[in-house]
Amino acid sequence: MTSTFANSIRLRNLTREFREGQRLRRVLDHISADIAAGESVAIRGRSGSGKSTLLNLVGAIDAADNGEICVAGMELSGLPERQRTLFRRRHIGFVYQAFNLLPTLNVGDNIRLVLELNGVAARSANLRVKELLAAVGLADRASSLPDQLSGGEQQRVAIARALSHRPAVLLADEPTGNLDDDSAKIVLELLQSLRQTTGTTLLIATHSERISSFCDRALELEQGRLRPVASSEPASP
Amino acid sequence: MSALLRANIGFLLRHPWQLALSLLGVGIGVAVIVAIDLANASAKQSFLLSMDAISGAATHQLIGGPAGIDEQFYVTLRVEHGLQGIAPVVEGSVSVGEHELQVLGIDPLAERQLRDFTHQVDAVATSGANRNLFRDLLSVPGAVLMSASTANLLQLQPGDHFELLAGGRRFPAHLLGTFKADSAAGLDNLISTDIATAQEWLQRPGRLSRIDVRLDPDDPATLQQLQQWLPADTRLLSAAGRTRSTAEMSAAFMINLHAMSLLALLVGVFLIYNAVSFSVLQRRPLIGVLRALGVTRGQILALILAEATIIGLLATVCGLFAGAWLGEQLLQLVTRSINDFYYRVAVTEVAIQVSTLAKGAAAGFGATLLAALLPALEAASYPPRLTLARSTLEQQARRLVPLLAAGGVGAMLAAGAVVLLSQRSLGAGIAAVLLLVLGFALCIPLLVQRSSALLAPLAARLGGVWARLALAGIGANLSRTGVATVALAVAVSASVGVSVMVHSFRGSVDRWLLQTLQADIYLGVRGGGLAPQLIEEIAGLDAVEAISSSRRVRLETERGQLQIQVLDMAPGSYAGTVLLDADPAAVWADFEQQDMLLVSEPFAWRQQLAAGDRLRLPTAAGEMAFRVAATYQSYRVDAGTVLMSRATYSRHFDDPLIDSIGLYLRANSDPQLITEKLQAISGGRQQLLINSNQAIRTQSLQVFDRTFIITDILYWLALGVAVIGIFSALLALQLERAREFGVLRALGMTPAQLGRMISLQSASIGLLAGLAALPLGLVMAYVLIEVINRRAFGWHIQFSLAPQLLLSALALALLAALLAGLYPAWRAARSQPATAMREE
Repeated sequence: MTSTFANSIRLRNLTREFREGQRLRRVLDHISADIAAGESVAIRGRSGSGKSTLLNLVGAIDAADNGEICVAGMELSGLPERQRTLFRRRHIGFVYQAFNLLPTLNVGDNIRLVLELNGVAARSANLRVKELLAAVGLADRASSLPDQLSGGEQQRVAIARALSHRPAVLLADEPTGNLDDDSAKIVLELLQSLRQTTGTTLLIATHSERISSFCDRALELEQGRLRPVASSEPASP
Repeated sequence: MSALLRANIGFLLRHPWQLALSLLGVGIGVAVIVAIDLANASAKQSFLLSMDAISGAATHQLIGGPAGIDEQFYVTLRVEHGLQGIAPVVEGSVSVGEHELQVLGIDPLAERQLRDFTHQVDAVATSGANRNLFRDLLSVPGAVLMSASTANLLQLQPGDHFELLAGGRRFPAHLLGTFKADSAAGLDNLISTDIATAQEWLQRPGRLSRIDVRLDPDDPATLQQLQQWLPADTRLLSAAGRTRSTAEMSAAFMINLHAMSLLALLVGVFLIYNAVSFSVLQRRPLIGVLRALGVTRGQILALILAEATIIGLLATVCGLFAGAWLGEQLLQLVTRSINDFYYRVAVTEVAIQVSTLAKGAAAGFGATLLAALLPALEAASYPPRLTLARSTLEQQARRLVPLLAAGGVGAMLAAGAVVLLSQRSLGAGIAAVLLLVLGFALCIPLLVQRSSALLAPLAARLGGVWARLALAGIGANLSRTGVATVALAVAVSASVGVSVMVHSFRGSVDRWLLQTLQADIYLGVRGGGLAPQLIEEIAGLDAVEAISSSRRVRLETERGQLQIQVLDMAPGSYAGTVLLDADPAAVWADFEQQDMLLVSEPFAWRQQLAAGDRLRLPTAAGEMAFRVAATYQSYRVDAGTVLMSRATYSRHFDDPLIDSIGLYLRANSDPQLITEKLQAISGGRQQLLINSNQAIRTQSLQVFDRTFIITDILYWLALGVAVIGIFSALLALQLERAREFGVLRALGMTPAQLGRMISLQSASIGLLAGLAALPLGLVMAYVLIEVINRRAFGWHIQFSLAPQLLLSALALALLAALLAGLYPAWRAARSQPATAMREE
């Protein structure tokens, strides 16, 4: 199921606006960028700068108003909702700040769900779940419910779930925002090692400089525009 | 208005659907209570008004035996004893076209001291002067007076000539005038005529139905004297007491209707609880902030209750208006049932009574505050922080579940204790049913929790993780799904309980009719007796092997008004009467010769009589005690029926009339041909009502079915409230889990898959509710049959279960839940994951 493409993400003149009362607010303003397959890129910016919106567009959760967006070889602009859903299911993995594990499913089932949606046979899915839980250090917690885990453990389950179907692109939105320093470090190291093992492209939205330093490069999102950031440049407040 | 309250009201206004559901729940509950109360009270008030108008200023009534009072006695009272303030009355029924009317024969000269309406006339056919009225009433053949609305109903104008049917005979009548509008209240469906005319129509020459008496309360001597003058078979009764005892005949019927309306309110309470608790849950962050800002627990509690009060007020007002409208619709059904079974009552409009509105308002407010109390206490318990984990709330709910179940078991035990200890009280029986329903309802969340835990792994094996997600979600969101399941289960259990009871009841009545109706053809006349010569001719027909005869009369006894059925049974037809507590062979052997009675099961229950007891009846020779030989099975609902043989009746009463006869035909006779022959024989003499055995059975069952239309309507209203409840619960759940659904969509679940998942969850809730409703419904049916019906009417109904009733209840629960889940499923499926995630 692994997908590899020379240019994992290609954005051209991407625009996204939201209505706020009577007026329209342009969150993304003619953004263009290329991210190579297997590359890890941090998207930096203030709160409300549009980082999550950009991730939602790349992840096919949302659709752009204008511009072109090509992810894992698929042109997403103008793609119908059902196609976007199927694309997301096969090629994208998500990690959120609030973990977003399903509270009524145990850890194993949270991971198994995505595999099942992708039609993976039960036996293979079980093996994959075990493999991933071992990789994130939670082999003995398969039957625990999410609220029985610590924040760091929940995020590790979320990473396992995000990578379960070997996506082409892993999108992480402030993945350590709800974690203490130690847990954050563990999660970041885990993200990096798993990404390197699988060759997955990683896009992280963050305003943490430390997280930026984990990535191959960083882009700053400011007033709807995307610009490259030098490795020494401090993050926006 | 305080800023706190404004903040909350603003929240409600921004969630109009939620506000609407709360209003709807309370509103329907209040409307049903008000409607039933209005319909019952209007029917009763109209009856009392009519009785008051007819009794006029009479304080007492002299009532004779089955043949009435000799009119000479009236003359004696007035002329020999010089008694003033008395008026003779001949009462009965006649029909004009399809309309059955009460006829009141009066002496216009004696009326003034007792009744106003009979001499206050608005529209007069003759030259317009009231002075001619008495003369015309006495001299014009068939002259009658009636209310303007009755004249309208019959499409008559003063001066019109028309024909009426009395005792199967046709008589010409002439509408002389209409009662003055202000004195005609309660006089619909009544015609007043001269006493001689009424006697002719009703075949009571020289006899009076009663004598109305106006006595001075400060003159007990006249009362005592009057009692000494009375013939042996005549009793002096208080007019008000007689009216009251007639009206009380329908009390049990009305109490049962009230019980059904309470059930609708009970289901409404679940709906309100659901709506209020959801609105509290939704405001968790707001309440957390308020608490952080220094708002006390007491203030939060007061805030939520104030909001519930406002909702209660609005909904109650809407419910009162809706109730008045619904009351009008139900009035016709209620009066029709009362007319079918108890006494004649004509009601044209609902009389809005302050006490009814106050009762509805109190129920609406009470239910709203009760339903809001638990969520309000929960909200007040929130710690002062910005968010509270959903899982913490569910943990609280899970902790509560065993306590609720324990309370439920306690309530069910209490219901059993109430039934055992109360013995005969109908009110206690109804309280026991409500306790039973409440107790079982409190156990349902535990059932839901356990079933969800058991079924989720099975669902995962059969349908995959999404199916597990649907099933596990039911148990995991118990604070929402538990209440929805309870509301639906209570409504469906009411369906099972009532339908099994009605099915058993109908079966018992059908078997009883089959056994009781032994003759091939029955014939009689409306409001009168059959001509003896006609009976003789019919009995002499070749095709007729034997005849039975029957006469029904009402007697005023020390135990109130009771109906005596006088029977001259055909040989071999005794088996039609099922005796319950005596040896039939012994009873029938002495039935004709000895002065014995058989009492109907309902009458025996009400009067606490059994074989061997004695019952005193006013005979022609004065009061006499008759031996009760046995209790017999009967499903009649009127005041009380006592069977007496014609031979015994003839020995003690001076009344040869026969109301109806049953014909036993020889083998190979054609009932259709005989019917045509009977019509030919009676043609021009008496218009007979001729019915086959089968036709009477069919008509009786039609009346039975008609009685339960009201029950059906109330049941559908309760189910409607439950569907709204489950709809609001699922919608609430869907809104609360919007982010969870957003995650599922982000993970690649298609809208169809998400919709399927929610539909599976809805169907599972419906199935659990249906399964829970079956045992509760069956126990409810058992209690309705063995406790409620027994105590209300004295019937023994044979419990009978039709599997299709249970299956259709299950299907109903499933369908209701699926319907209720459609919109939430559709809404969740079309939600945009980006929007859901942005709300993070």
